[in-house]
Amino acid sequence: MTRDHSVIEELMAIDALGGLDGNDLATLERERAAHGADCAECLALERTFAETAGRLAFALDPQPVDEDMLERILAAPRTSPAGARPRDDLAERRARRPKAWQALVAAAAAIVLLVVVVVTALPSTTGVTEAAPTQRIVTFSGETDGTLAMAFTPGQPGAVFWGSGLPDPGPGKVYEIWMIEGDRPVSGGCVSPTDGVIALRVDANIGTTDTMAVTAEPADCPAAPTSPPVLLADLTTVV
Amino acid sequence: MGTTDLPEARDRDLMSRLRGGDEDAFRGLFHRYGPSAKALAQRVVRQSHLAEEIVQEAFMAVWRDPDAYDDERGSVKSWLMGMVHHRAVDLVRREEAHRRRAEAAIPQAMEEQADHADEVVQQLGLPEERRIVRAALADLPTEQRGVLELMYFGGLSQSQIAEQTGIPLGTVKSRTLLGMRRMRDALAEVER
Repeated sequence: MTRDHSVIEELMAIDALGGLDGNDLATLERERAAHGADCAECLALERTFAETAGRLAFALDPQPVDEDMLERILAAPRTSPAGARPRDDLAERRARRPKAWQALVAAAAAIVLLVVVVVTALPSTTGVTEAAPTQRIVTFSGETDGTLAMAFTPGQPGAVFWGSGLPDPGPGKVYEIWMIEGDRPVSGGCVSPTDGVIALRVDANIGTTDTMAVTAEPADCPAAPTSPPVLLADLTTVV
Repeated sequence: MGTTDLPEARDRDLMSRLRGGDEDAFRGLFHRYGPSAKALAQRVVRQSHLAEEIVQEAFMAVWRDPDAYDDERGSVKSWLMGMVHHRAVDLVRREEAHRRRAEAAIPQAMEEQADHADEVVQQLGLPEERRIVRAALADLPTEQRGVLELMYFGGLSQSQIAEQTGIPLGTVKSRTLLGMRRMRDALAEVER
């Protein structure tokens, strides 16, 4: 008996383009299970749609790649742990989200410890005050190495920034912290890392800020950003 | 032999050598597909430095575990671009809200806008592939092409497209299927 593939074909076409969401993710999984892992027509549909989607990339004009990237990759250890396997199917992509959250939670937990340590250990001349019990911790993400976190208490002015493993921003440059509300960036101050570590207190009220950003700027700490952000933190999801 | 058979045979040979640890094979693959991977990632995430990260992560995975490629499941080039695309879309969905707000506020002074196509189009088979795919896309009905481009290059989900365009979700889905069928058939036809 021939199975109907109309539903699965539509969902696979959308999934190949990365557009499947909502209940349709579960529907596709359910349909695949019902057809069986060895359903030849399902496998053929999946293969041909993935092939078609992959080839769409070649409609674009190629862009130059960082010259050093190739050597960085070749310098990496060439082991094959299971976790390093490229993720290129539906199940693997779904599996990424919880892992990302777990990593974020782990990073946040580590940063909480770091902030507590720095808040209690830094000398009073740094201006860092003791964190409140209702403090929120936000971690930044972006292109640069190292970690950066911000601790603040909703409804109260001031925030403490703590970073480690940060690269030097470059000759004659500093990191500048921006508070972005709507489309307006407001400088929160500039800081230079010492051995990759920064600790900074900002007096501004973080409460109305949507997004925090960090850029590398000239040492005179300009009033408006002149380069794209290297680190970002979304505050809209902070409860 | 079809127009794309020779490049694909070369790609599979590179993957075979890469499994044996051949660095030159990896260099060949990287030089051949790195620029297209960068173009794809940059189109989806819209920031050059994030696109570089995605390309590096994808090629790092290939370098570390070339056995992940299964030649039963398609061409090397589509497999590579699939990895890049999935990573780019994942990143966009994760960071979309705050990244786009920040983009609007902070000038993209460092973004690369130049068309560097001439520098890299001399790679075997790729100019022809580019011509074929562009022609197939151009032949799609406008409404189907629009949905495919929003989904693939824009990184939007079916629901986001429906929401942002006002097109009913069911119509988004049916246009996607029809567009993908036509693209698949057009690309296959060229190779016959």
